[in-house]
Amino acid sequence: MSALYPLLIIAVVLGIVLNLAGGLIWVERRLLALWQDRYGPNRVGPFGLGQVVADSVKLFTKEDWIPPFADKPVFVLAPAVVVATSLLAFAVIPFAAGFVIADLSVGILFLLAASSLGVYSVVLAGWSSNNKYALLGGLRATAQMLSYEVFMGLSLMGVVIMAGSFRLGDIVEAQRHMWYVVPQFAGFVMFLIAGVAETRRLPFDLAESESELIAGFHSEYSGMKFGMFFVGEYIGVILISAMLTLCYFGGWLGPVLPGPVWFGLKTMAFICLFILFRAALPRPRFDQLMSWGWKVLLPLALLNLLVTGAAVLLLR
Amino acid sequence: MPTSAAENYFPVLLQILIAMAVAGGMVGGSFFLGHKVRNRIKDMPYESGMVPTGDARGRFSVKFYLVGMLFILFDIEAIFLYPWVVVFHELKMLAFIEMVLFIVFVLAGFFYIWKKGVLNWAAEGNDEGKDAVRILSHDQHAA
Amino acid sequence: MSTAVLPDQLVSGIPQATCDGIPTYWIDRGQIHATLRELIEDVPQPYKMLYDLTAIDERGRRHRDGQPASDFTVVYHLLSFERNAYIRLKVALEMGHLSLPTMTDLSPAANWYEREVFDMFGIVFEEHPHMERILMPRSWVGHPLRKDHPARATELGPFLLTDEKQDAEQEALRFRPEEWGMRRGREGTDFIFLNVGPQHPGTHGVLRIVLELDGEEILDAVPDIGFHHRGAEKMGERQTWHTYIPYTDRVDYLGGVMNNMAYLTGVEKLAGITVPPRGQTIRVMMCELFRIISHLVWYGTFAQDLGQMSPVFYMFNDREIAFGIVEAICGARMHPNWFRIGGVAQDLPAGWDKMFRDFLDYLPSKLDEYDRIVMRNKLFQARTKGVGGCTVEEAIQWGMTGPNLRAAGFGWDFRKKQPYSGYEQYEFDVPVGVNGDCYDRATVHVEEMRQSLRIIRQCVDNMPGGPCNAEHRLTTPPPKAQTMHDIETLIHHFLSVSWGPVIPPGEALAAIEATKGNNGYYLVSDGGNGSYRTRIRAPSFPHMQMLPKLCRGLMIPDLLAILGSLDYVLADIDR
Repeated sequence: MSALYPLLIIAVVLGIVLNLAGGLIWVERRLLALWQDRYGPNRVGPFGLGQVVADSVKLFTKEDWIPPFADKPVFVLAPAVVVATSLLAFAVIPFAAGFVIADLSVGILFLLAASSLGVYSVVLAGWSSNNKYALLGGLRATAQMLSYEVFMGLSLMGVVIMAGSFRLGDIVEAQRHMWYVVPQFAGFVMFLIAGVAETRRLPFDLAESESELIAGFHSEYSGMKFGMFFVGEYIGVILISAMLTLCYFGGWLGPVLPGPVWFGLKTMAFICLFILFRAALPRPRFDQLMSWGWKVLLPLALLNLLVTGAAVLLLR
Repeated sequence: MPTSAAENYFPVLLQILIAMAVAGGMVGGSFFLGHKVRNRIKDMPYESGMVPTGDARGRFSVKFYLVGMLFILFDIEAIFLYPWVVVFHELKMLAFIEMVLFIVFVLAGFFYIWKKGVLNWAAEGNDEGKDAVRILSHDQHAA
Repeated sequence: MSTAVLPDQLVSGIPQATCDGIPTYWIDRGQIHATLRELIEDVPQPYKMLYDLTAIDERGRRHRDGQPASDFTVVYHLLSFERNAYIRLKVALEMGHLSLPTMTDLSPAANWYEREVFDMFGIVFEEHPHMERILMPRSWVGHPLRKDHPARATELGPFLLTDEKQDAEQEALRFRPEEWGMRRGREGTDFIFLNVGPQHPGTHGVLRIVLELDGEEILDAVPDIGFHHRGAEKMGERQTWHTYIPYTDRVDYLGGVMNNMAYLTGVEKLAGITVPPRGQTIRVMMCELFRIISHLVWYGTFAQDLGQMSPVFYMFNDREIAFGIVEAICGARMHPNWFRIGGVAQDLPAGWDKMFRDFLDYLPSKLDEYDRIVMRNKLFQARTKGVGGCTVEEAIQWGMTGPNLRAAGFGWDFRKKQPYSGYEQYEFDVPVGVNGDCYDRATVHVEEMRQSLRIIRQCVDNMPGGPCNAEHRLTTPPPKAQTMHDIETLIHHFLSVSWGPVIPPGEALAAIEATKGNNGYYLVSDGGNGSYRTRIRAPSFPHMQMLPKLCRGLMIPDLLAILGSLDYVLADIDR
């Protein structure tokens, strides 16, 4: 097989993901506005769609400021890490049967590994800024990571037991008769919670929490480096939504419409759910998040795994 | 279908390179496009517009460091479960019983640290056990 | 009151007659501490709350009949809840001996009040733990509320901020932990000293709080106020009685006419004016509408402080509807400047009752909806229950009033206990909390909105007829009926309109249940067309002073929950 085919797929996937991430700025602002009885951006272009372009141009031409008191190499590296790692995770996401950059047999493990690298960018940004708000934000990101990472992987294992494979393509194909959200509902809820925490969005935006820490870990960031945290955040949202679709809602499977369309629609629905969370929920304190993750969700995830194992044994 | 590991992971390598290129391009692009103006106020760390007392490089206390250590333990224990779930279909009952035992041991340790209070690291003022029920009473006072 | 030991038997001092009937005594400088201790701790039905502490520069007074000689008079107001009565103590000080013993050992609330008196008058309180300026910058020269201090910027030289001066000012604002008896760390750990504010999205204005942090745990907090200080009290001495009304609007800028009410109740006490029933009812109706408006802002921003984005937009929409009514009646929105000495600026416009009735029908279902999305939200409850609580005893010691005091479990409402403007005629309940924590403060606030709606409905249903302004020569604008008969009354009318009414000499305290707590105006008239001394006792001031006590041992997110629940406005703290 030539190297051109994967390159082509990579180009298509990156094109879709980056454009969608940019477009999500508009989607999120318009949806929030809709739910909050106001208009949102509606001036630039039709329906305000040009806002995306305007924002990108603005961010690119803003001053590329690196604080003299910061740890400069780390400060520059941090926003690059979040974009690179979340893009990396898309290597194993199948948009349709066979349409995937690398169909790895350890797909889910690769996904978990790549997406959890993102937290480093937050911690590094918080530490390198040499700003107290940023430091506290970085610490909170650490606390948050400690509390959801363990059960995040465990909550997915129920799906893996049922499908018998880490390969995402196999997991989707195994849902031909029934979406896993039905037998694995507990796992779905836990993974959704962990997923929101992973993307660091409300209600789990503790590292940023603007009413407490001004802008938390990215207090000292400006211009495109600031923008990259947002791009990274949106790519993360797309990623988690895609994972939810693949593992619990039958991926590209669906009647009438072609596979990629189904996949796109389901993913978009989850993206909207993420935005709805942001519109609706207050944020917990981080010790509450932590004790909830450890005392409730971790035992539940283990229990879910055992019950799933027992059920699979009995029903075979 | 790719067969060898090299063929399998070659696209991943490509993806890594391209993702890094995209991220680098964004940082570099804004470096060349943006203009630069510096002044002394801008070059101060932002702390609500005040001159900071001390910087963010002290030896601060991370109260949840014990949880951080436990995290490493439990994450490793979780990783033991990952291979088990894929071979579960082949090993059946044997694997199940062994895993029940494993998880029971893990949970036993877990409840031990829970009872030891390692997971309650919040500040003293925030203890959860406080009475959370109350009734809003009305009292009608004659003027 | 009848069974109580009368104040005359409690204190030995020279009594003074006042317009408000509050027992007033001149106490010797050497006796004041003992007398205060007696009143706060020992007497039956003690005067537990230090309600206010301020001073008067008497050097320009003309009418001080029977009062002891004094250059500067320090005035203490104590409040006894059991007696439902105030007592006022005065201490005469001579220029050159401007010092007094502190009373911070008797009441923690005295700390900031004494600092304010020092800042404004240069009177030193001996053995005060931190005798330092509180409202003015440390680099300020002079004491603003002294009569010889300029009242206008134009009386000072031109202002120039050079880089060097800016650096010096910034440096003066840098927090030095040692000054506050704080250490920079303990074995192996450095404490973080974090400035929260003045430019911070969570402080609701230019408030600065310096936190001493161990990780995220708050060891101590030092609120630094004064960034919003505009000299409202000084302006009160510069404006006429009438032209000061718009300035009161801006003290609690969310409370609108509520401020007019507090100020004018005081002026009317001095002038001996009784507002006719229609005027009183209109005032009550507008005040309660503004209570709702203010509480809606509090509700939305509180939810926002806890990270909940949306409620604030819904609540501001409702507030817009209420502002529509305010605009139709007053012509302005946030600062209506609409009450007048002896009444209100205009009678109600045609169709006013329909607007109110629509609003009364609209809001209750909305409040129920907000209960579902905010008050019953589990995350909201987790963030607010058991956080930042205090007991009734502590609340009284620290001078807490209003919804915050009621949340602690003490059903004290000045509308019920010391009715003004005809509040005794209305049926409404006083919601009371149990724990005094953030959640209780929230429930009390929310329930108060429902009670305000009840009061407004009673006003709308029973609006009396007749004039809305008093038939009194000091009413503004003055009654015109007699002016057409003789030159004498015509001249009086002309003077009253162009210079404003001349209020007879005297002094009075008027305290009302404002949106955020007890708002009191202590006015001293020297027989001029303006006030000699205007003291504004704002509820947010003691509430903010209590913040360190409420947040010690908690974490940064809790601090924001407490700030949000306290319902303060920076303009109300700094005046």
